Amino acid sequence: MDDVQPRLLSCFRGVFPTLDEGELLQLSQPAHAGWDSLASVTLVRLIEDEFHVQFDLFDLEDLDSFAAIADRLRAMAAGS
Amino acid sequence: MRLIEALNLLREPRPDGAGAFPVYLGCGFTPLDLKTFLQAHLQLRLKDRAVAITTGLYGDLAGELERLEAARYSAIAVVVEWSDLDPRLGLRTAGGWRIGCLDDMARSVEAQIERLGRVTSMLSSHTPVALLLPTLPLPPVCYTPRAQTGMLEARLRAAVDQFALSAAALPGCRVISREAVDSLSPLGGRSDARTDLAAGFPYTSSHADVIGSLLASVITPAPPRKGLITDLDDTLWLGIVGETGVEGLRWTLEGHAQLHGLYQQLLQSLADAGVLLGVASKNDPQLAVQALRQPELFCGAESFSAIEASWQPKSAAVGRILQKWNVAPDAVVFVDDSPLEVAEVEAAFPAMECRLFPKHDPAAAVRLMVELRDLFGRSSITEEDRLRSASIQQTGIPSGTGADFLARLDAVVSFSFAAAPNDSRPFDLINKTNQFNLNGRRLQEADWRRWCEDPEALILVARYRDRFGPLGRIAVLLGRRVDRQVEIAHWVMSCRAFSRHIEYACLRQVFEHTDTGQLRLAYTATPRNGPLREFLATVLGAVPDGECVLSKARFLDACPKLFHKVETAS
Repeated sequence: MDDVQPRLLSCFRGVFPTLDEGELLQLSQPAHAGWDSLASVTLVRLIEDEFHVQFDLFDLEDLDSFAAIADRLRAMAAGS
Repeated sequence: MRLIEALNLLREPRPDGAGAFPVYLGCGFTPLDLKTFLQAHLQLRLKDRAVAITTGLYGDLAGELERLEAARYSAIAVVVEWSDLDPRLGLRTAGGWRIGCLDDMARSVEAQIERLGRVTSMLSSHTPVALLLPTLPLPPVCYTPRAQTGMLEARLRAAVDQFALSAAALPGCRVISREAVDSLSPLGGRSDARTDLAAGFPYTSSHADVIGSLLASVITPAPPRKGLITDLDDTLWLGIVGETGVEGLRWTLEGHAQLHGLYQQLLQSLADAGVLLGVASKNDPQLAVQALRQPELFCGAESFSAIEASWQPKSAAVGRILQKWNVAPDAVVFVDDSPLEVAEVEAAFPAMECRLFPKHDPAAAVRLMVELRDLFGRSSITEEDRLRSASIQQTGIPSGTGADFLARLDAVVSFSFAAAPNDSRPFDLINKTNQFNLNGRRLQEADWRRWCEDPEALILVARYRDRFGPLGRIAVLLGRRVDRQVEIAHWVMSCRAFSRHIEYACLRQVFEHTDTGQLRLAYTATPRNGPLREFLATVLGAVPDGECVLSKARFLDACPKLFHKVETAS
């Protein structure tokens, strides 16, 4: 078990403070009206700061759920 | 502050009954992190308020400000970047950097600054405005090499400087210092071209944090410290007077002691601004005074309202000075070159800012002076600031002073029943007074303005003078008539005015002016408002345990004979 999930959860909590942990783990952009483009940018800034990575801000379409972002972070950590 | 820390801080629940503190953030770009950081820094400073930030539409800063209903906000933060002055100076507009466009660009910036100047003046007459002028690096518009200032850049900077000059002169406007931005946020770390192009937000998180913090600090400025207590030997001057004698002391460049001269110069400037200066020195008292009387000093004996020179512990001297000044330790800064003395005073007064004078480190000494200037910083200097030091010399009227003495004071209390929103003295009195304070509640600038502009409000400001000199405006009372009684929400009186029965004169004036038979006082006990509690206990006949009612008959029974000549102005 890596530490991606808890660290990513703290980023998601910062942007979606009203959602509980279970909801955050299942969160996806199409299903949550509050996850708009500005929330995306804030979320990415938090994740970049927390994980010391950088995303292409013009290519965030695939990063549209907690699970997708966690997978991407794990892939980046593995160097792929 | 990191972005996640700011967001987490904003998630924390506010206390029940927290009053709203609405702020308008005017910026031409997507506010994103700047909004978050500004809100977080304000919330840190306003723990009993619920800060809410409203922003305008993207890309039309001047238009949004012109349409703004300023009275809805407690403060307005205006953030101007180059792209607000001309879109061609931002990264999101392309096609405008031809040489032939440069003159037009300068003229368009000058016109936009004129427009922003007009709206800033209008807004700041209603609501406090914090103004930030461009902080981002100019894009490479000019044809000159980077090391050379081109004509366009010179014109743009001159226009911005002119804007800063006129805005700084507006009583309701505070311009963020360019030096403060430069010292906290390196130029190369401010712009985030990636988020600017992708999301319209041009700042890095760290720059947004600095800007949010600076805006918050001028919207809710910390109350300035009231007094500074300094050591003498190797601090105010170089040398030990007990060893070298007065003639051996140095504080000049020629004497290789310039840091001490600069420190004296700063202290005298602080004294001119109303800061109380005291000396705590382990020295022979007569020798210390003799040394302080040297006319060549930049800050000599006449500038110090308390001089304590003895062989006792420094903390004892500091304690006596605090007693003389009647101020709390947290309102005072102590400076000494000895780490031991600093530690001893710090241990005795944990709330006091205690600073080491770094006599062997010029850079650290300059940093100390910058820090001292900040701790005592204020937006304006009032008549009372200039009177404070002199009046401290005559505050030794003990409580319970006899009527004979008071009768011979030739005291005059002048009451006015209005205050100007931009008059900082009554506002500062409410926010700085601890001891004779009805409830310790502080006001934000916007709250004060609302009181001043409310036609139903009762505002009483008392000014005092006697044969020893003027004290200036020393008491403020804010209230409202509700039905047949007057509700008093705020009442403060400077500790310099104690023992002169001015508090009785204030209440008598309120009874007479409003023709009411009853006052309801919003009293709350605080850790420091014992003098107010004692006064209320005297006039009420019992110690109050909260809000209390005082009838005119009861007051007149308890009121001693007053000898003041009373003057009133509407």
